[in-house]
Amino acid sequence: MNAMPDTAAKPSPYEAPELYDLLFETLDFDRAFWLRVGREAEGPVLDLGCGTGRVLIPLLEAGVDMDGVDLHPRMLDRLRAKAARRGFHPRLLGADMRDFTMPRRYARVICAFNAFAHCESTPDQLATLRCCREHLEPGGALVLHISYPGVALWLGAGEAPVLEHETSNPANGNRLQLYDRRITDRVNQSQHSEIEVRELDGAGATVASHRFEARQRWVYRYELELLLRLAGFARWEIAGDYAGAPLTRDDQQMIAWAWREPA
Amino acid sequence: MEGAPRGGELSVEATDLAQYIEPGLYDLAYSWHTADLPFWVERAQRARGPVLEAGCGTGRVLLPILEAGVDAEGLDLHPGMLEVLKQKAAARGLSARVHLADMRDFTMPRRYGLITVPFRAFMHLLTTEDQLRALRCMREHLEPGGALVLNLFYPTFERMVEPGDEERLEREFPHPESGLPVALVSVKREYDRVGQVLRAELELRESDARGYAKAVHPHKVSLRWIFRFEMELLLQAAGFTRCEVLGGFDGRALERDTDEMVWTAWKD
Repeated sequence: MNAMPDTAAKPSPYEAPELYDLLFETLDFDRAFWLRVGREAEGPVLDLGCGTGRVLIPLLEAGVDMDGVDLHPRMLDRLRAKAARRGFHPRLLGADMRDFTMPRRYARVICAFNAFAHCESTPDQLATLRCCREHLEPGGALVLHISYPGVALWLGAGEAPVLEHETSNPANGNRLQLYDRRITDRVNQSQHSEIEVRELDGAGATVASHRFEARQRWVYRYELELLLRLAGFARWEIAGDYAGAPLTRDDQQMIAWAWREPA
Repeated sequence: MEGAPRGGELSVEATDLAQYIEPGLYDLAYSWHTADLPFWVERAQRARGPVLEAGCGTGRVLLPILEAGVDAEGLDLHPGMLEVLKQKAAARGLSARVHLADMRDFTMPRRYGLITVPFRAFMHLLTTEDQLRALRCMREHLEPGGALVLNLFYPTFERMVEPGDEERLEREFPHPESGLPVALVSVKREYDRVGQVLRAELELRESDARGYAKAVHPHKVSLRWIFRFEMELLLQAAGFTRCEVLGGFDGRALERDTDEMVWTAWKD
């Protein structure tokens, strides 16, 4: 490995869909929740930031009428191939979440796994929420997950990369380790991650290294409520986890439900 | 958490005046704090139109502004504070126009070139609804082109994880008249990190000439902190179209979570 700091711009992790799936495809901590949201929607559902379909494909398999939007065409290509192998051909649009147009309206728009943190400014956030609201049927709801930016995030950021996630490659048994070096800006509520994914063989030797970078903008609870208000939602609720517990601690998740005015 | 406005519901803490420090002691507790006065006096002198100060208390900021010859009024919802302010004004030969009113819901006959909420008084409003009511009401009372100026602390994350029940000396200073030592001590601090409220129990401790405790004055305060982008959204939701935040009274940029946020919002 190169000992010199690598300062060149790195690609987004979404430029490597195969690796993304090796790391994250089996994550199922939120799957039961999104399945319930989809089944109870009683109408079509749009997955905003659908990626390679970690959430969208299980919902298709559960019989939910799903469409997807994602900025990254290579992620959508992989989703399309995975869905086709299962006999599904969902409508997928490569578009920016701030400005997309689908030909129909939805009972639910869902935005899972911190995808909303890719909106890096208040105008981006408002544009995205307004676009979501326009794509809802009257009485429909946006359901959005974003982690609460607790003190652990701001106090824990440092110079050293942290092993954030570890999984194995089923094809060859190699270990995959995701290291994240986080630089945070407290007053701008932002996080810049330098990511390295290392692939280790059975003897523990690094056989490959993939570097990425990503930016996230975090949002607080009352700030999110103001965003939903300004985006024109009629009412909203924010729970602290996927089971609907109240949000009382800063190490919880935010699960926001925001409804469009009924007809 | 329903988004529908909760009409008429007041946050208990903002109006629970018994929790607040006795008006007669307020000046003593904050007599050391003068660093912000040049900023407020200069802003008031530059204002194109009359000045209104919301949360004027005992006049720590308003009296120097009146002494500078500015056409300024004040409002506060604490009658005891206003009594002390009037006495102090009379002693200095000033006539102070002050009003017993709530910054969330007041009606004044004239419009102002500048409305100020100094010394973090806006942080006494503990809910989004109260904050929006106050901002809308103050915006109504601005002349076109007028400005609202207020300051808030930025929440410091290191302080949130410190033990909340250890005494901490906030400030030690000489009594302005006797010169004897006075201490402002926080005895308990509770940070509701998701509700964004700091509940603090404080004591003002006076000592006698031999250094023994002469008097202890306990009081409580609840302050709702506001993050930077949250404040921008509040101002936007209240109808302000342009705003600016600085990181201190010296005009530096907001960069660290130990900075003081100094906000200016303009009415078109």
